[in-house]
Amino acid sequence: MDSIGLIREFLHDRLGISPDSVIPEAPLDDLGVDSLMLLELMFEFEDRFGITLSKDLKSPKTVGEMAVLMDRLRSEQS
Amino acid sequence: MSQRRVAITGLGLISPYGGDLPDFFARLLAGESAVRYLRTDDIPRPLSIPFVSCPGFDPDATLGRALAGTMDRFAQLGTAAAFAAWADAGLVRGQPAECRENWGVAWGTALGGTLAYEKGYRELWQKGRERVSPLSVILGMNNAANAHISIQLGLGGVSMSHTVACASSAIAIGEAFRRVRSGEAPVMLTGGSDAPQAYGVARAWEALRVMATGDETTSPQACRPFSADRNGLVLGEGGAALVLEDWDHAIARGATIHAEMVGYGTSCDHSHLVRPEAAGQERALKAALADGGLDVTDIDYVNAHGTATAEGDPVEVAGLKLVFAEQASRLAVSATKSMHGHQLGAAGAIEAIVTVMALREQSIPPTANLLEIEPACLGVDHVTSARRNVPVRAALSNSFAFGGSNAVLAFRAVAR
Repeated sequence: MDSIGLIREFLHDRLGISPDSVIPEAPLDDLGVDSLMLLELMFEFEDRFGITLSKDLKSPKTVGEMAVLMDRLRSEQS
Repeated sequence: MSQRRVAITGLGLISPYGGDLPDFFARLLAGESAVRYLRTDDIPRPLSIPFVSCPGFDPDATLGRALAGTMDRFAQLGTAAAFAAWADAGLVRGQPAECRENWGVAWGTALGGTLAYEKGYRELWQKGRERVSPLSVILGMNNAANAHISIQLGLGGVSMSHTVACASSAIAIGEAFRRVRSGEAPVMLTGGSDAPQAYGVARAWEALRVMATGDETTSPQACRPFSADRNGLVLGEGGAALVLEDWDHAIARGATIHAEMVGYGTSCDHSHLVRPEAAGQERALKAALADGGLDVTDIDYVNAHGTATAEGDPVEVAGLKLVFAEQASRLAVSATKSMHGHQLGAAGAIEAIVTVMALREQSIPPTANLLEIEPACLGVDHVTSARRNVPVRAALSNSFAFGGSNAVLAFRAVAR
């Protein structure tokens, strides 16, 4: 599964959001992802992809920013 | 500041029978037990005990998936009960918080988010993982329910949780009562919730040798307070909430008043962690009566703590006899835990609602499964038959906790 796929799966399971509406341009805030839920999402990334996110990681604002960030970390840590 | 009268304008609970509050009370009046044999699918340690669940409760449907996902079950049950009480009071969620900056929440829970903690321990010790969910702290914290309720209802006053074992929510209600009566808060949302169906919790209670036994067939009759053949308590999950409101405030907005809360008495046995004492309970009962300006002749019903333990039941009756003296023999007493079980931190709130409903409906629910009264429990008028329709002018609800903490709530009927 790629990063945006995991974001779509998480938001569907957690909030019931249709995967079709989880597009790269969508602000995470607008989708209902607050700071607490962002922690859940980052935890999910660490778990599923075996990567470690540093505590001072800059918070992404959109689905696309998150996916790019996660793809980069996966590539660096693989 | 002069003391205010305190109206009860909202009642809400999550019923183990699956229906609404009138349905819950009707089933209690009929003597119908909600106790069932619970079997969990936890591997490798499934739980199988007599228990009272709320199988009809759907947190996602009631609270919304996003909100429910940030809560342990105890907070889900509590918040849903609060929503029900709020609606019953005719109050609207989502009004501007500045209108409610001194409205508050006082909540009771004995165990808080114990299911979240147990899940975390399973991850760490059973599955060998080194991390737990980032929501573990906010799921588990004991003040999670009152925090969610304050946020969801937009209440800007005090938001506090009380953890006093089986008296948790009775004490929460009493503390809320004091804030409304003093004029500090015009409205307090109060009550309690617990979800104790964790493997470790059940085993811990069993080790104390106070849990009733039962199977698929016998579980509905497992809890038998005051009975000669009682053999212990039955745990349950639940959430119950009341809206306490300044009387004049309630009248001004045209609210329905279910009953008046008039008194609150507390004490500590200060003698033993688990062995109750009649003298300590006597002090709490007398304090509640004095606080409410009530005489023993005013009280027509006591909803007993009545857990069906060997030690607890006779001591409770002894305490009532010390206070009510020659009035004891006419005092109607029932232990509704025989039907709805013991919800620990939620029990006081559930039984406060039962007591208010008895005043409102002028009908007393029985102690179920009480066929032969334990000789040491004689001396009060045990209600054993379904639906006793008698005048109920004022009533008490007893909650007595491990640790020796006692709380008694006093209510009066209102003309309807």
